[in-house]
Amino acid sequence: MPPIVEARGLVKEFGEFRAVDELNFEIAEGEFFGMLGPNGAGKTSTIRMIGCVHPITAGTLRVDGLDVRVDDRKIKHRLGVVPQDDNLDEDLTVRRNLEVYARYYDISKADSRERIDEGLDLMQLSERADAQIHELSGGMKRRLVVARALVNEPRILILDEPTTGLDPQARHLVWRKLRLLRERGVTILLTTHYMDEAEHLCDRLIIMDHGKSLAVGAPRDLIERHVGASVLEMHVTPTQLEEARMYLIPALGESGRLEQIEDVLYAFGATAEHASVVEKIAGDPYRVLFRRANLEDVFLTLTGRVLVE
Amino acid sequence: MTEITDTSISAHEEVPPVGRRWGVIPFLGVAIPGRRSYRVWQRNRDVFFQLWKAELLPPVFEPVMMFLALGLGLGTYVELTGDDEYIQFLGPGVLAMFAMFAAVFEALWGAYFRLDQHGTYDAILATPARPEEIVAGEILWAASRGAINATLILLVMIVLTPFYDLVESPLAILALPVAFLTGVVFGSFGQAYVSIARSVSQLTYFFSLFILPMFWFSGGFFPLDGLPTWASTLAWFTPLYHGVELNRGFISGDLDSGHLGHFAWLVIVTPPAVWLALRTMRRRIIA
Repeated sequence: MPPIVEARGLVKEFGEFRAVDELNFEIAEGEFFGMLGPNGAGKTSTIRMIGCVHPITAGTLRVDGLDVRVDDRKIKHRLGVVPQDDNLDEDLTVRRNLEVYARYYDISKADSRERIDEGLDLMQLSERADAQIHELSGGMKRRLVVARALVNEPRILILDEPTTGLDPQARHLVWRKLRLLRERGVTILLTTHYMDEAEHLCDRLIIMDHGKSLAVGAPRDLIERHVGASVLEMHVTPTQLEEARMYLIPALGESGRLEQIEDVLYAFGATAEHASVVEKIAGDPYRVLFRRANLEDVFLTLTGRVLVE
Repeated sequence: MTEITDTSISAHEEVPPVGRRWGVIPFLGVAIPGRRSYRVWQRNRDVFFQLWKAELLPPVFEPVMMFLALGLGLGTYVELTGDDEYIQFLGPGVLAMFAMFAAVFEALWGAYFRLDQHGTYDAILATPARPEEIVAGEILWAASRGAINATLILLVMIVLTPFYDLVESPLAILALPVAFLTGVVFGSFGQAYVSIARSVSQLTYFFSLFILPMFWFSGGFFPLDGLPTWASTLAWFTPLYHGVELNRGFISGDLDSGHLGHFAWLVIVTPPAVWLALRTMRRRIIA
């Protein structure tokens, strides 16, 4: 089966600034694909090119077999887009927002009523159908934007940082809804700078920085490949840090790496044995954290920086 | 799902050069707006009717005040060359000016907020609508607002007619399409200006430097023959002047070949004005 999204040498420039720099990736049909990277990594520019909002500067980009340079309308018919900021019509009710949106897709009144009921139900907003937008919580607005993006029954749902600014509960509800959509066969493309979001939701992801791709793969594979299974984190004094370093460099050998970000020392690929030695150096077990490696560590390994500053 | 194919280019054909993508016609540099312009217009209409209580009364109060202050107040000191009272002279001008204001407010502030503050254009762009269709929808809506407000003012004038003889001919109804046509022109210029505006406060420039001079010097308050030639020549280049003159003809019922000229002026200016708006806003929207 051909990929539903295929980018080859994709470039986006705004004047002198290169926002997306020779990006290559593929998204398979039905996949939950993530773009992980800090602000300014080029995630939004990439999805705007997929959505035929910004023209591409160079390279090729195909969506559902169609060229984004040519078939803007056909592609837009097959996409649902959830933007970073809620851009609902504040003056219209919840239901009216969806009705107005359905019209752009030439969906008949009868069809749109049915789909809107379904969408509101799916997003747990049926009881708020006649509410004004300003009466909704942040999480409800987000879910309404998702319901709006589903009104044309898209083959691909694109979400730009869908949970930024939401409280943990609202966030988990959005995650649950997205997993449900994935089970229904919708291909999902999500951008995020939260590593836990990417790790929980995505089948595969691309890690981006400064418009470039750093790595592509399944979360677990990326972690295994770039970091190893576990990480030792030390928040200790400079002298202890030096001592820990002296011990760890030979102890880790070829199988691990050390990285210092500000006053924190990370030992990637460390073992429980290493941890207990370092705990003794620190003299305080709370200053040493031995944990499973995650995507944040991958980003750290690849860039030497933390993901969210 | 209905699949819509309105580009003549299909996927397997050669990719057109940059200037011809997304339906753009090379010579014009824009795509021809399709029926989604009407969807954008519908969206604005729906919001307007949601807020009609707030939107509908000011357009009635403002011209009534002007009739009172200028027509009845100042007008008693004004002597015209013909038999008309000043308030009768004022009528067609007020109608054209306030229709202009309605169109300009919509195309300038309304559109700027939708573009820059509320993300309305972003939301629409995610649908099959093209930037050109957003712009065309906005222009049509600005023109409609002009026509809606003109309707209200004409009703006020009809109500006042038994007392002041404001409307002398049933042709006055044609002032409404005039309001729409001038609204298209003003809406287009407004949109073109929005494409270069970088803040809300910059919109005031357009209003002060373009709209207000027209308001005063388009033959609505006084006949232009009293002005120096350069000033009346300048006025001839403004759309409002031709709107006022057309209204004057329709409301009084005294039409001559000159009115055909005013109509032709507006018809000729409309396409380039719309093109300018499409071209400049397209660039602003798609970056």
